[in-house]
Amino acid sequence: MSLGVVLFAGIYAALAAVALVRRDDTFPQAVRRTAEQLVILAPRVVCALIAAGFIAKLIPGEVIGRFLGDAAGGTAILVAFVLGMIVPAGPVVAFAIAAVFARAGASTPALVTFVTSWSVLAAHRIVIYEVPLLGFSFLRLRLLASLVLPLLAGAIAIAALALTDAQ
Amino acid sequence: MHRWRTASRGDHASITMAERSGKPALSPRALIAAGFGAGFWAFAALAVAAGTACYVILGGDAFAEALGDDMALLAATLPRIVIALGIAGLVWVLLPRDRLSALIGLKSGWSGLAVAAAAGIVTPGGPASAFSLLAVLAGAGADRGALVTYITAWSMLGLQRILVWDVPFMGVEFTAIRFLISLPLVILAGLIARRLPLELRLADAYRPPEDPRS
Repeated sequence: MSLGVVLFAGIYAALAAVALVRRDDTFPQAVRRTAEQLVILAPRVVCALIAAGFIAKLIPGEVIGRFLGDAAGGTAILVAFVLGMIVPAGPVVAFAIAAVFARAGASTPALVTFVTSWSVLAAHRIVIYEVPLLGFSFLRLRLLASLVLPLLAGAIAIAALALTDAQ
Repeated sequence: MHRWRTASRGDHASITMAERSGKPALSPRALIAAGFGAGFWAFAALAVAAGTACYVILGGDAFAEALGDDMALLAATLPRIVIALGIAGLVWVLLPRDRLSALIGLKSGWSGLAVAAAAGIVTPGGPASAFSLLAVLAGAGADRGALVTYITAWSMLGLQRILVWDVPFMGVEFTAIRFLISLPLVILAGLIARRLPLELRLADAYRPPEDPRS
C-alpha cells in the first residue's frame, strides 16, 4: 500500500462519516455520482494508459530527455510550456501524456510546467465554457494575467529542486 | 439536486446555474453508452494503433514488455482513481455551490483573492460547474482579480483534478511540489488582473456572447 492510497482511504473514510452522520440521502447520492463518473471515465483511462505505455516505448527516451530532461534546463521549461498549450483536450489525455513524459525521463520542473500550461490554456474549455459564459474580454484578461504562470511554476520548480539537492 | 433548491435564499440566478452545472441523472443504459462513447473509441483506436506500431517496429518482446508495464501501471492507478472519485463524489454532495459563490462576493483586497483561491480549489466537479459559478460571480459583480484567481485556482489546483488525476498518474511527491508552487501563483494572477488596464465587458450568461468590438 502506497502513501497515496492510505491518504486517500483516510480522506474518504472521514468524508463518508460526515455524510453518514446526516442520516439522509447524502451518502447514497455521493455513491451514485461516484459510480456515474467511474462508468464514464474508467474505459477511457484504461485505453489512454495502455496507449501511453506503447507510445512511451515508441518515442526514443533520448528525444524526450534532450528536450524535457534535466540537462535541457530552461529549454525544457519552454518546450513543456508550448506542449501544454497545444493539448486541446481534457485531463485523460493531458495526464496520460504527462505520464509518458515522466516515464521517458522528463524532469520534474518540465512536468510541472506542462501540467500548469495545460491547466491555464486548455483550449477546449475556452471554446465550450469560457467564451460562451464570460465572453472574449474576460478571456483576454485571464490569459494576459495567467499566461506567465506556467513559466514561473517551472522556474520556481528548478530553483526549489536545486535548493533541496544542495542540502 | 433538490437540496440546493430547498437551501435557496432567493438568489434565483445562482440556483439555476447550480442546477445547470449538475449533470442530469442518467439511466444505466445511457451511462454505459456515455462511457463507451466517441471518446472511448478514439482512445481505444489510439491504443490499438500504438500497440500495432510497437509490435511492428520494435518486435514482439518490446510489445510484451510494454503491455506488462501497462498492466502494472493500470493495477496501481485504477484503485486510486476509484477512491479519488469516491472522495470527489462526497465533496460534490457535501459542498453547496451557492454558498461558495456567496462567500467570494463578500470580500475584497488580499483576503478576497485568498477566499477566491480557496473556493476555486474546493469547487467540486468539472468545467461545467466551475464556469457556471464563475459566471454567477461575474454577474454578481465580484472584482476581476477574484474572478481570475477563482478560475485559475480551480483549473490549476482543483481538488478533483489533484485527487483523480495528479496523484494517481504522477504520484504524491510530484503533486505536493506542484500544489505548493502553484498556490502563490493563482493569487499573483489575480493581482496582475487587477492592474491590467483592460476594459472588461462580461457576456450575458444566458445569451451567446457579443464581440466587444461590434
